[in-house]
Amino acid sequence: MAGAILENLSTKKLSFFCLCLLLVQIACFLVGGLVAPAPSSAHNILTTKCIDPSFSLQKWFQPHGPHACDKVRDFDEATKRGIFADWIVFSAQVPHRPNTMHRSFQYMLGVLVMDIGYSDEDGKHLAPNAAVTLVVRLGYKDTDDGEFQELVSVNETRKLECVFPFTEDKVGYHYSCEPLPLFELGSVHHKHYLINIRMPITKDKATGALTNTNIGSPEDLHVVIIHQNGGFTTVWMSIKTIMFPIVLLITIWFWRRVKTQGKPSVLLERTIFALAIIMSILNFPMEWLTFWVEVPFMTLLSDIKQGAFYAMLFSFWIIFIGEHLMDQTQRNRLKVYRRQVASIIFTFFCLFIFDVCERGVQLVNPFFSMWNTDKGYRLAMAFIILAGICLCSYCLFLLFMVYQVFKNISMRRATLPHMAKARRLHYEGLIYRFRFFMIFTVLTAIFTVIFFIMSQVLEGHQKAGESISSVQYTSGFYTGVYGMWNIYVVAVLVLYAPSHKKTASTSNGEGSEGSHVEFDIDVPSEGRPTDPVVAGSLTEAYQLLSKTATE
Amino acid sequence: MKLEWLVAFFVLPMASLLAKETTAASSGKWWSIATYPQKSNIVTDTQGTEISLEPQMRPLNKRQRRMVRDNPGILLAISQAVKMAVTECKYQFKNRRWNCPTMMNVQGANSLFGKILNTACRETAFIYAITSAAVTHSVARSCSEGSVETCTCDYKYQRPSEEDWEWGGCSDNIAFGHRFSQKFVDADEKGRDLRFMMNMHNNEVGRLTVSSDMRQECKCHGMSGSCTIKTCWMRLPTFRTVGEFLKDRFDGASRVALRNEGVRDSSNSNSNRPGSERGGRRDRGQQRAPTGTESNFQPYNANHKPAGPRDLVYFDDSPDFCVRNEKVGTLGTVGRECNNTSLGVDGCDLMCCGRDYDGSQVRIKERCSCTFHWCCKVKCQECTTVRTVYRCR
Repeated sequence: MAGAILENLSTKKLSFFCLCLLLVQIACFLVGGLVAPAPSSAHNILTTKCIDPSFSLQKWFQPHGPHACDKVRDFDEATKRGIFADWIVFSAQVPHRPNTMHRSFQYMLGVLVMDIGYSDEDGKHLAPNAAVTLVVRLGYKDTDDGEFQELVSVNETRKLECVFPFTEDKVGYHYSCEPLPLFELGSVHHKHYLINIRMPITKDKATGALTNTNIGSPEDLHVVIIHQNGGFTTVWMSIKTIMFPIVLLITIWFWRRVKTQGKPSVLLERTIFALAIIMSILNFPMEWLTFWVEVPFMTLLSDIKQGAFYAMLFSFWIIFIGEHLMDQTQRNRLKVYRRQVASIIFTFFCLFIFDVCERGVQLVNPFFSMWNTDKGYRLAMAFIILAGICLCSYCLFLLFMVYQVFKNISMRRATLPHMAKARRLHYEGLIYRFRFFMIFTVLTAIFTVIFFIMSQVLEGHQKAGESISSVQYTSGFYTGVYGMWNIYVVAVLVLYAPSHKKTASTSNGEGSEGSHVEFDIDVPSEGRPTDPVVAGSLTEAYQLLSKTATE
Repeated sequence: MKLEWLVAFFVLPMASLLAKETTAASSGKWWSIATYPQKSNIVTDTQGTEISLEPQMRPLNKRQRRMVRDNPGILLAISQAVKMAVTECKYQFKNRRWNCPTMMNVQGANSLFGKILNTACRETAFIYAITSAAVTHSVARSCSEGSVETCTCDYKYQRPSEEDWEWGGCSDNIAFGHRFSQKFVDADEKGRDLRFMMNMHNNEVGRLTVSSDMRQECKCHGMSGSCTIKTCWMRLPTFRTVGEFLKDRFDGASRVALRNEGVRDSSNSNSNRPGSERGGRRDRGQQRAPTGTESNFQPYNANHKPAGPRDLVYFDDSPDFCVRNEKVGTLGTVGRECNNTSLGVDGCDLMCCGRDYDGSQVRIKERCSCTFHWCCKVKCQECTTVRTVYRCR
């Protein structure tokens, strides 16, 4: 890579640039923390127990309103009225009456929470490996008084994972059960949804045993609906809409600069360009579409885009470090990095396959989840473990390469004073670029982790204290981290773009081909501060980056 | 300052005059809405929401009536709450000398729980706490079922605006239940005396028990199902948990007296006689800080620990539940079933207060060896068992 702007930039300009990025970063956090609501909300809906002696899968059972169903309050009443288990339809209307769902909610997850009462009576015990068989119908309507239309009707089995938290017999208490994932909708295109759940007692085709016979005595079914908040969607999409053209313009500027150099572009430049392109794709605010068109594959798409970005970012790190290795080997070809890149590609390919299996099938059947069946569970685990192994091997590669770079740097620095001026400048330039990049990358990564932990901890505290704080830490985390990686890409684009200043251009040294010697000799003198106070702090900064005056 | 003087001269003497009558019997009238027959008195409007007819509103005061009218469907929740409280009270005390007797057919003051409420004893404390807890629980449940439409994040007698819902969602039904119970149940309390303070405190104990027994559950739904995005929700405790907790608090209830300095939130300290009340009718709603009431009490026995925000308080001795006393409202334990082998309170020695007890053979017909299908029993046999039942003389 030819001399980058980073080396030719005066310290004043560089610090100004960094300050600007910092301000954008802070703005991103504040927008998320102060303007946006929490990213998602959950509504715990207690299902109404409707009665349907006809066992009709054509009829809809609504809990309230003018067409409300015939209902029972509890099962004692049902027993008294001589009602069978097959007649009971658990009905939940989403959302509760005065409200309507909105397209900006983006996705909708349903979780089934069962209140299974403990009973010391015979035949009411919950079997250890019990599974519940559900016949679920999901419908929608867009007008207040229209009929519900069927979205999907399925027959699903879910394993119950329940424990009774007490050692003695305690009548009236509930088992503590894991919430069961029910469905995932990739778009919320309609205003009202209706969920009808039955737990029929029928003969299982495969085993011949009766279904739903050893599930204890469920007292209530809750359907927890989780969706993204409209406010968060608006803020998120606004950030994307603002970021997209900026990053795209800088990308175009970067590529034109590479092209106007008059030399064929080197691998590192191409990698940076690819990273910027993928960032732009991620930034492209496609979600605006959901306001007009039903796009059920939006979550799948955004998962894929995010995965692609991570894959590209990891590849970029490997290539960048490789290009700054400072050994005598010829690189500048993607082939050299095939093992590392292949491990990254494989990692994300595994995750991609998993995601396509999970979310892809959900396009057809929102109630499907790989985790629900034993086979699917094993397959999903296999994909994730494989991806994990690949990611670990990648990390080891990366750490090893970083270690090599540092080893080489210390070796080179020992011999620096004895080198010819051109070579010395070449290596100093390489070292400076690398150090800057390392510090910048590590800071970004560390901040991501810190913000993640902070948002989790702060959110946890908020729940316990029950006081509603005005700062939304989780939203701040999302927008902040999103902004941070955009800023990272912008900084890489700008600072590592080839420089026009060619004051000390000499012939290619024996270094790697990708790293032309173009260290600008007058950088330190240009950046030499006149103010003594500033000078002190800047010297420190220089030492940190091992960029000492070379005059 | 002028207002303070006004209060000191006019309202204070008037309030103390009224105090004798209002002290005990006035509060808790709303409980008797459970004794009114349901369904028949409830008509539904065009939307299918239950609205009530006037007879059911009779036990309620003006403020409570307004709250019921403003929140269609909530009357059913309240009446179910009272029934739930009664059931739970009876369950928790089934083995005690006082077994939470109720009179479902009598109407009027003290109709449901009887004259025991005139005594500021532990039992009264428990009744106040469990009914208040039941309202919180039942209202939150109704909100989550969607049978009350006015549940909002912020209790302002208005529905959430469409924009608020769209922008940030709104799901905290339990907070609404708590606030509603606070306004509805406490609207029944008048005066500023020790009994008033006791009721208010015990009401809050009940509500606090519901709120603090809630459990949080979460779901991860980030990229590929990872935990980068986690959404949590709260689950109401079973009412049995609430009942059991309050029963524990009943056994460890604190006997209190009014703090010598008087009501802590009073600005001028001219009312330091216990039992005297200040004319605190202006901003009554504001003066009740949710957890601040216990600071008005001091333990009756100076060696005891002061009552905390989740401790039941009382200041009268319990009446003797062994004998029937119409005046105090005790039924006595004559005819109560007891366990002749137990050494506890349900044992015949304690239950019958040292009197004799009779054993008799009883044939009990029960449904047995039933096939049970998760909700309901199908195909039962009838079995007859012979059991010896002991009853106090």
